[in-house]
Amino acid sequence: MPSDPPFRHAIEVADLRKVYTTTRGTFRRTKVENVALAGIDLAIAPGELFGLLGPNGAGKTTTVKVLTTLLLPTSGTARVLGHDVVSATGDVRRRIGFVFGGERGLYWRLSGYDNLRYFADLYRIPPQVSKRRIGELLEVLGLAGREHDKVEGYSRGMKQRLHLARGLLNDPDVLFLDEPTIGLDPVGARDLRVLIRGLADHGKTIFLTTHYMFEADAICDRVAVIKKGRIVAEGTPSSIKQLVGDIGVVEFEVDTISQEDIERLQGLDTVSSVVVTERELALVVTIHCAQPAEVMTQLGRLLDGIAFRRVSAREATLEDAYVELIGEAS
Amino acid sequence: MTQSLAAFARSTWLQYVALFQWATPLGYFAYKVVLPVTQIVFFVQLGVFATGPGNALYFALGNSLQLTANSGIFGVIATVSNERQYGTLPLLLGSPANRLLTFMSRSFVNVLDGIVSVVFGLVVTAILYGLDLRTANLPLLGLCIVVISITTAGLGLLFGSLGLVMRDSIIVANVVYYGLLILCGINFPVSRLPDALQVVAYSLPLTRGVMAAREAVAGAAFGQVAGLLAGELLVGAVYAGLGYALFRLLEGWARRGGLQEAY
Amino acid sequence: MRSLIRAAWRSFEMSTRLRVVSPWAYLNWLVFPVIFAAIGLFVLTSSGYARVAYGVLGGGVIGFWSVTYLDGGNSIQEERWNGTLEQIFAVPTPLVVIVIGKILGSLLLGLLAFIPTVGLAYFGFHAVLPALDPLRFAVSLGVLSFSFFIIAVALTPLFAISRSAFTVLNGLELGVYGLCGFMFPVSQLPQWLQPISYALSPTWATRALYASATPSASGDIAGWWLASIGLSALYLVVSVALYRFVEVRARVSGELALA
Ligand SMILES: Nc1ncnc2c1ncn2[C@@H]1O[C@H](COP(=O)(O)OP(=O)(O)OP(=O)(O)O)[C@@H](O)[C@H]1O
Ligand SMILES: [Mg+2]
Repeated sequence: MPSDPPFRHAIEVADLRKVYTTTRGTFRRTKVENVALAGIDLAIAPGELFGLLGPNGAGKTTTVKVLTTLLLPTSGTARVLGHDVVSATGDVRRRIGFVFGGERGLYWRLSGYDNLRYFADLYRIPPQVSKRRIGELLEVLGLAGREHDKVEGYSRGMKQRLHLARGLLNDPDVLFLDEPTIGLDPVGARDLRVLIRGLADHGKTIFLTTHYMFEADAICDRVAVIKKGRIVAEGTPSSIKQLVGDIGVVEFEVDTISQEDIERLQGLDTVSSVVVTERELALVVTIHCAQPAEVMTQLGRLLDGIAFRRVSAREATLEDAYVELIGEAS
Repeated sequence: MTQSLAAFARSTWLQYVALFQWATPLGYFAYKVVLPVTQIVFFVQLGVFATGPGNALYFALGNSLQLTANSGIFGVIATVSNERQYGTLPLLLGSPANRLLTFMSRSFVNVLDGIVSVVFGLVVTAILYGLDLRTANLPLLGLCIVVISITTAGLGLLFGSLGLVMRDSIIVANVVYYGLLILCGINFPVSRLPDALQVVAYSLPLTRGVMAAREAVAGAAFGQVAGLLAGELLVGAVYAGLGYALFRLLEGWARRGGLQEAY
Repeated sequence: MRSLIRAAWRSFEMSTRLRVVSPWAYLNWLVFPVIFAAIGLFVLTSSGYARVAYGVLGGGVIGFWSVTYLDGGNSIQEERWNGTLEQIFAVPTPLVVIVIGKILGSLLLGLLAFIPTVGLAYFGFHAVLPALDPLRFAVSLGVLSFSFFIIAVALTPLFAISRSAFTVLNGLELGVYGLCGFMFPVSQLPQWLQPISYALSPTWATRALYASATPSASGDIAGWWLASIGLSALYLVVSVALYRFVEVRARVSGELALA
């Protein structure tokens, strides 16, 4: 086995750009340049579970494809385990696994076992090793007993777990997962997240992309938010939440509320915004603020004589932060 | 009137574009120009090798006429499957318009395409093999071309309907398409086939129409081939009718919610 | 090296198993060659049996060719639809090894095309080839197989990056049959087309094949074998460049993923 060059980061990306050139039109062909990655930098430590968040078309899949050697970057560098993804494709491919979300990418007319054995041979894993490992993976991923059924009869969750098994065949040090829980029901998605977290806890470096903020919040050690090919925020999930400033939300319902009352709420030091939305028979007042508990105790005094119900306070979710970040950077 | 004509022309054009949306310009060229030319040349050279240069026109003419089957069979099936893909089929089914007419109209663009293909084939034949139409009964030849384009589209409609329930109907269509090359007197007279196959040949479109067209090229009058053309039309009508019957049957199933699985 | 052979073998096995359940495969090795054989036999026997070898073997040669290369091309298209094309691209096994496995499968399937076509000639037309020289015939068939194999392996990466390449080559099918002399001698073709024929490796192998099955045949069969093998070797060199090009091209455009 070739030894890796010394590296500090499992994945290291510097000023990575990817521009797709496509032609449009049938007869008068014009070239269209589409900047998918506008220069991104990333450094991911060995054993880290890293999440890349972003809206549709932000460049998540493109990033993963560059890192998995499927795409050549237009400029910039990317290294996986110290190997350059452009030139040292063999070294990178042997040491990584990748899973693209969705149901495609499997031979539906063959059994799950045949799918795995085929890829095991393509990964050039010795037969004794692959036999044992396929058995283990089927067990761990809950596919044992169904491995000789054709894939077309599998549920989405099973197909997704088969994908993951395929990605793990070569016992990769770095695993790339592009929207792994897409299309799964909540229970299936949660099970898969538990599995992924478990892999990271066993020392694998995992690079995951997702649309789901709670997903990143739940399992990632660190996340980056990408938008239009640029990283707009990076850090632990909680530091991202803090980036946005508000760390709390207070909500309550009223039948009616006057403009003066709203202004009085806005006058509080720690309150950054007050939003009133109509919902069925009531108005919902949402207050973004730094100290929700403090605001709650003041409500009675400030809204003297108004009947308010269902008061609640919660922490801002990563979703709140994400929505603000994506909106802001436009 | 002119307005609705324009609308009709537009929808025909759109159907045509949809038909070839899979192809790049180069792919379209390969399919519509290279393929017909190579088909004609291949079979002519084969025929000349086997029977001498005197027979080149027999093979060239036969294959030029058979080119219509490409539109009539594959084109019609593609039109139907396009409608299924774009979800316009239920709209058609739900409309109060005359169903039979609506059903038939979907093959219109392919009939036109088929006629153009044959004319192209004849031009190629004229250029490469000196087809001389000065002694031919041109109006009659034109009529024959229109008739075989309609009748093969009739057979196509049957497969189009089959395609709504059968996943691999396109395979069956392939077999039929190439079968026409053997059975319909394209490269050798039907009389050389074993008796049982002759029966099959005469129950297929093209067979009589190709005979009539060969006569027309030789200068025959309408009366001499009227019987053949009537037979040809009858065969085409039977297939189109079967296709329509199948289509109505499926429509009934669809109403009762049975067709969903078939899709 | 052993792991590469195993990968090629598995690719062979997998593509064969997928093929066995695909109706298209039967169309290509069974129906399609039989139809060509039937037309060929009817036409070629219309004035005696002197040229019957082209009818007996022609359908088989056509079927053999089209299965070998169409099937390889189709299997790449299928990988694209499956979404597996990217995956087989990103494994440590070079693409060419996987393709070799696939094409070996196509080659074997293609050879099957001789069974129904020769059967049709025998049972339907009572056509036999009494003058066939088994040894020369076998070597010629081997050389023909080699030329088909090399062309299919060389062309397949083109299908991986270009969907229209396949359509275009499909449109040229009958042209190839004619140019390579699958059902009638190349000398039938217009003079100006013949140089193209002679640049194609199957032309020489087919010529040797028919010569070894025809009574009055004369000619330098061994020289034709060498010509075919030499041309195949030349294609091989070109295809190395093609594989390099495709590897880069696919990684620049991301075209492997497009369904
Ligand atoms: N093969 C390609 N050719 C041309 N443009 C492409 C190609 N693949 C992606 N793009 C474009 O690059 C940009 C980034 O796409 P990418 O797939 O990386 O986004 P994403 O973040 O994964 O989005 P999603 O959440 O929808 O999966 C988009 O504008 C997309 O249209
Ligand atoms: Mg994506």
